[in-house]
Amino acid sequence: MKFFKLPQQLVSLFILFFIIIVVFIIARRIFVPATFGVYGHYRASAIDTVKEQKINYAGAKACYECHDDIFETKSKSYHKDVSCEVCHGPSAKHVESGGDFAPEIPRQRDFCPVCHGYNPSRPTGFPQVIVAQHNPGKACISCHKPHDPTPPHTPESCSACHREIFSRKMVSHHYSLACTTCHTVPDEHLANPRLNQVGKPAAKEVCGQCHDKAAESDKEIPRVDIQTHGGRYLCWDCHYPHDPEVKT
Amino acid sequence: MFSGYIYPNEYELQWSLLIVLYPYLTGLVAGAFILASLERVFNVKALVVVYRLSLLTALAFLIVAPLPLLAHLGHPERALEMFLTPHLTSAMAMFGFVYAWYLLMVLLLEVWFDYRKDIVLWSRQKKGILRYIYLLMTLGVTDISEKAVRFDEKAGKFITIVGIPSAFLLHGYVGFIFGSVKANPWWSSVLMPIVFLFSAIVSGIAIVILIYIVTTLIRWKRPDMPCLNKLAEFLLYAMIIDFSLELLDFIHRLYESEESIHILSDLISNRLFISLIVTQIILGSLLPMAGIVLARFGRVHDEMRRILYFISAFLVQVGIFSIRWNVVIGGQLFSKSLRGLTVYKVELLGLEGLFMTFFLLMLPFVILYVLVKLLPPWTEPTHPA
Repeated sequence: MKFFKLPQQLVSLFILFFIIIVVFIIARRIFVPATFGVYGHYRASAIDTVKEQKINYAGAKACYECHDDIFETKSKSYHKDVSCEVCHGPSAKHVESGGDFAPEIPRQRDFCPVCHGYNPSRPTGFPQVIVAQHNPGKACISCHKPHDPTPPHTPESCSACHREIFSRKMVSHHYSLACTTCHTVPDEHLANPRLNQVGKPAAKEVCGQCHDKAAESDKEIPRVDIQTHGGRYLCWDCHYPHDPEVKT
Repeated sequence: MFSGYIYPNEYELQWSLLIVLYPYLTGLVAGAFILASLERVFNVKALVVVYRLSLLTALAFLIVAPLPLLAHLGHPERALEMFLTPHLTSAMAMFGFVYAWYLLMVLLLEVWFDYRKDIVLWSRQKKGILRYIYLLMTLGVTDISEKAVRFDEKAGKFITIVGIPSAFLLHGYVGFIFGSVKANPWWSSVLMPIVFLFSAIVSGIAIVILIYIVTTLIRWKRPDMPCLNKLAEFLLYAMIIDFSLELLDFIHRLYESEESIHILSDLISNRLFISLIVTQIILGSLLPMAGIVLARFGRVHDEMRRILYFISAFLVQVGIFSIRWNVVIGGQLFSKSLRGLTVYKVELLGLEGLFMTFFLLMLPFVILYVLVKLLPPWTEPTHPA
C-alpha cells in the first residue's frame, strides 16, 4: 500500500543532512574535551594545566625575609605598593637557591619611563617626565633612589621673590644647590633687599670648589682645570650658573 | 594625534579595517538575496534577468564573509569550536549558527533547487571532469520530469520565503552586535539592526547593478533596460528609507542630547568629517540619489542612463563602505571617559592591513567568476529589449 511518496530531492537532502548531523555528532565526541563544562564554559582540566606551569615569581614577602632594610625604606616611600619583581624581574630562582641567580637591576634610562614617561591618560599628579627633555643622557638612578623615589628637593627659601630663577634652577643640574652655596646673603636682605644686596661670586674659584680637577666633589660633576679653562674669562661669561647646560 | 583624555587601553583600536569589511560583506549578501527574493516571492518580472546572478553574488560574498573575522582573530583553526561548544548567551558566539543556517538552509538549497534541472542536463552533456562535478552536484537526483521540476519550483519559493527573514536575521544580527554594546553611545541604539538592514539592501542592489552592467559589457550583450530601470527604482526607494532612518537616528540623538553628545559632535566634526559628511552623506547618498532620479525619470539616452546608473551604484558602494567605517572605527575613536579622541592608522601589510582587506574584497569576485562559469546565470529577457 502506498501512502505518500517523498520526492527524490527531499530524500537526497535528508540523507545529506543526516550525514552532516552524524559527522557533527562524531566531531563533537572527538574534539570536545572530556572535562569541558564541569565547572563552566571551559575545559576543567585547563586549571590543572595552568597549575602545572613553573612558578617564576617569588612574591614581595619572600624578598623581605632577607632584604628587610629595603623593606623598611620602601614601605615608607611612594613605591610602597610597587612589588620588588616589577623592577627586578621574576626572582623565584633567586629565592629558592638562597641568593644565587641575582635578579636584574634595571639601571638604564629607558626603564623608569615605562611608568613615569609622559602619557596623557595617566592621572593628574602622577609623576611624569618628558624623557627627551628631562636631564638627557643621565641615568634616572643618579638623582632618584628607586626604593625611596621622593624627588630631590630644591631648596626654595629664596623662591618667594626669585621665582623665575628658582624654576629654572629646579630643572637644571644645579637643582640641589642652595642659593647660599654661591651667594652670600646678609640677614637684612629679607627685610630690605634693595639696600642689602646679596653677594655674587667674584672669582673662578667659587665654581672650582666643585668643578676643578682637584675638587673633592661627586665623580659625575664635569671637571676642568679651573686655572687654564676659558683663559682670562670668568666662568659665567660662558655658563649661566642657574642653568649651566645653557651657554650665555 | 590624540586629543583630550583617553584611557590607556583606548589608544590602539581593537577592531580594525577587517571588522569594517565584515559588515560590508554580509550586507552585500543580505542585500543581493533580498533582491533575488523580489523576483521569486513578489513576482517582479523585470528582475528575472538578474535573479540567478544575484543569488550567485550573495553566495560568493557569503563564502568570503567570515574570512575577515578569521584573519582578525588570528586563529582560524579554532573557528569550528563555536559549533562544538556553543555559547548560547553570547551574540558574537552565535555567528556560526546564523552563518551556517543562512549558507546551508537558505542559499545553497535555493541555488540547488533553482539549478537542479540544468545541473542534471549539464551532467549529461558535458565531458571530462566537469561531468563528474555536475554529477556530484545532482546529489543523485536525476529526475527532471515535469512533476519533479514543479516541486523544485515550489521548494525554491518556500526557501525564499524562509530566506527573507533569514537574510534580515543575518544582517540584523550584525547590527545587533554593535547596537547591543550599551557602553558605547555611538553604537548603542535599537535602530542599529534596522539601519544595517536597509543599508544592506541598498548595497546589495547596487552591487548587482554594477556586476550586471560589467558582465553584460564583457559578454558583448546589451543590458536589459527595463531590468536596470527596475533595479534603479528599488535602489532609490531603499536609499530613501535608509537615509531617512539614519536621519531619524541622528535627530533622535540630537534631541535626547545625552551626556555623550559633545564628544560625538566632536567626533563627527573632527575625526569623521571626511568619511561621514563627505563620503557617506554627500558622495554616498545625496549624489547617487540625484544621479538615479536624473537617470530614471529624466529625459536621458539609454547609454547615458547606464553610465549614470553605474556611477551612482559605485558611489553607493563607497557610501556604504563609509557607513561601515564610521560605525566600526568611529565607535572606537572616542574615549569612554567622553573626554578625548584617539586616531586610527591603517596598516599596509600584515594580517589586518590594507592589502589583506583589498584581497578579501576581491576574493568574492574570483569566487563569483568560478560560480558563473560552473552555473551560468544568464537568462535572456522575456520581453523585447
